[in-house]
Amino acid sequence: MNTTGAFIRKELTQAVRDKRMRLVLFLLPILQLTIFGFAISTEVRNIRLGTDFEPNDFLARQTVERFFSSGWFVPADGEGLEPFERIRAGFADAVLVAPRGGLARAAQRAAGGPSSLPAVQLLVDASNAFRARSVERYAQSILSRQAGPGPIVLDVRVLYNPALESSVFMVPGVMSMILCLITIILTSMSLAREREMGTLETIIAAPVSDWEILLGKTVPYVLLGMVDALLIGAAAVVIFGVPMKGSWAVLFFSAFVFVCTTVSAGTLISTLAANQQQALMGAFMFLFPAVLMSGLMFPVESMPALIRLAAYANPLKYFVALLRNVMLKGGDARVVGTNLAALAAMAAFTVWLSARRFQRTLN
Amino acid sequence: MRRALSVARKEVRHVLRDPFTLALALGLPVLLVTFFGFAIDFDVGNIRLSVYDRDRTPASRRLAEVFSASGYFNVQPGVHPEAPSKDLDAEEASAVLIIEPRFYEKAKSGAEAKAQLLLDGADNTSAGTVLGYLSGIQNAAQKRLAPALLSGGNKTGFISLKTRFLFNPELNTQWFTVPGLAVIVVGLLSIMLTALTVAREWENGSMELLLSTPVEPAEIVLGKLSPYVALSLSALLIVYLVARLIFRMPFAGSHLLFFGSSLLFLVACLAQGLLISVAVRQQQIAMQLSIVTSLLPSMLLSGFIFPVESMPAFFQYFTMILPPRWFLAVSRGVFLKGMGAVELAGPLAVLLLMDIVLITAATKRFKRDLET
Repeated sequence: MNTTGAFIRKELTQAVRDKRMRLVLFLLPILQLTIFGFAISTEVRNIRLGTDFEPNDFLARQTVERFFSSGWFVPADGEGLEPFERIRAGFADAVLVAPRGGLARAAQRAAGGPSSLPAVQLLVDASNAFRARSVERYAQSILSRQAGPGPIVLDVRVLYNPALESSVFMVPGVMSMILCLITIILTSMSLAREREMGTLETIIAAPVSDWEILLGKTVPYVLLGMVDALLIGAAAVVIFGVPMKGSWAVLFFSAFVFVCTTVSAGTLISTLAANQQQALMGAFMFLFPAVLMSGLMFPVESMPALIRLAAYANPLKYFVALLRNVMLKGGDARVVGTNLAALAAMAAFTVWLSARRFQRTLN
Repeated sequence: MRRALSVARKEVRHVLRDPFTLALALGLPVLLVTFFGFAIDFDVGNIRLSVYDRDRTPASRRLAEVFSASGYFNVQPGVHPEAPSKDLDAEEASAVLIIEPRFYEKAKSGAEAKAQLLLDGADNTSAGTVLGYLSGIQNAAQKRLAPALLSGGNKTGFISLKTRFLFNPELNTQWFTVPGLAVIVVGLLSIMLTALTVAREWENGSMELLLSTPVEPAEIVLGKLSPYVALSLSALLIVYLVARLIFRMPFAGSHLLFFGSSLLFLVACLAQGLLISVAVRQQQIAMQLSIVTSLLPSMLLSGFIFPVESMPAFFQYFTMILPPRWFLAVSRGVFLKGMGAVELAGPLAVLLLMDIVLITAATKRFKRDLET
């Protein structure tokens, strides 16, 4: 036990000895959380809207003003260009075109006779299909609001995040991503590095058991990961004011299970890699899908069934769900239980797998 | 120049000796772009909607039908009649519809008939989308439940909207995600290819050996970069073929412009990796820095999924230091809109500037290392 302790201490001091390493460990997570937390928002805003109507068309002018006062649209550059060209050249995301002869006249005609409703045309740049859909929805809702309220009212309340603040949506997710990233990059090189430098033989020859080496290579990183979890959690609450409705104990226990999973996944990568270049590629192969399928970038539920299976094997998905539920909703017992169980099963599996690989690598 | 060539030849040999890395460099982009090209879809379908119908009239049932007929919702009866918001706490639903008593009476008499919709504000993807669908649903409800208002003679104030979607009339999501994925994946890979090259040679001592020869730092930098430029350009070419053949993407622009600007972008990424490698001289830290400075920033800040236009002003400027932000604009513009070099002059100039700055910085840094 004494040798194990000494071995863990040695790895720990080695990890925090380097000044640059300390930056990576303690400063970068906070910095990244701050940048991503403040910057990202899924909401589509600042849509550059060009307009094309005759100067004396008061109804069109009124309609356009409604668009700009809605807060979603901003005026586009490229005045004087033909509408299609204005979008193609990238000056505008959409152009609102009034009918020839003026919208006001069309409206008069419609009111007087049996002709159809007056119509404006909206040209939308659909090369960003996602944005294009939002643009149309916004435009629809602006025009239907113009007609005054109908008798049926949907009173919408967004729970847990009434002001729809992006940081509340994003911070728990970004926290999980950063914790995942840090633990993976700390561990995925460990054995590959020793192997490349030739120190692996020294370790094998040393009078310590395989288990002690494994503990020495993983426990320090679990500890460092937990320190980071504490730092990031505090920053989320202090800097972003993300509510912490659930219990910190549940949060840290989840973080612990998650960190065990990622540390063993990282260790597994390091046993499989023949050199550090391969370890880097391995870390990327793990991190890229994990981040993309965390449920933060796009909804996991709308993926094709077969691909969704892969998402269910992603530890990050469960940890994001846990953090969100615990921080924003106070931690519903059933939700926390199922996600934690899934995460624990994954932790057990990766720990077992990496321990086995580790032993085989040493022998 | 001949000396740069021999550095390059040595690097090629190094890459060939590690077939695993080579296979990954060429195969991984195809795999990731194909997989995520099919996986990513922003449309939230199957949103679980709990309905608490406290009116129990034909009208209230029809309102629930409007939701299920929209195609976005899976309507289910509510589980916690005493406290409907518990459905969201327990994640048994992503949205809850509560129809007040006397809904039908009010709708019939033309008074304001109210229904409450609770959304899960912990989940950005579902809440945002439902909010987007709302006005359409409200219109549909208006039409089904209070048709008198619309069919009556009073049409003043109504303006209908005719939308034309340009460049992607069917709003195919893949046409939007695939060019983005291609940029992100190949860009990340490029950084990772060069991030360890120089650090590795410092660690195993071959750098000292190389420096005792008359090779100039600039020659080492160019020699180190060029084989990887070829490698990542090939990776991009394969990804381009995936986009065209598997995802059937149209390509409206000029191929020369696309691959020319790809070259600028890939050189910027490779030079970023090389600069890290030169600066830290240690593979482990080079690896950590390369992942930290590339992975999350390019996925979250470059406009790949989260729009740059929606960021606070300061962060919009901040994203300008990221090469993928610029090349994403080029890739999307050239693929679907057929934008030309004149319209893309801005992004192209920035990428070129990045190339020059990064390569010069790497060379300078190298020189300083030699003098100390």
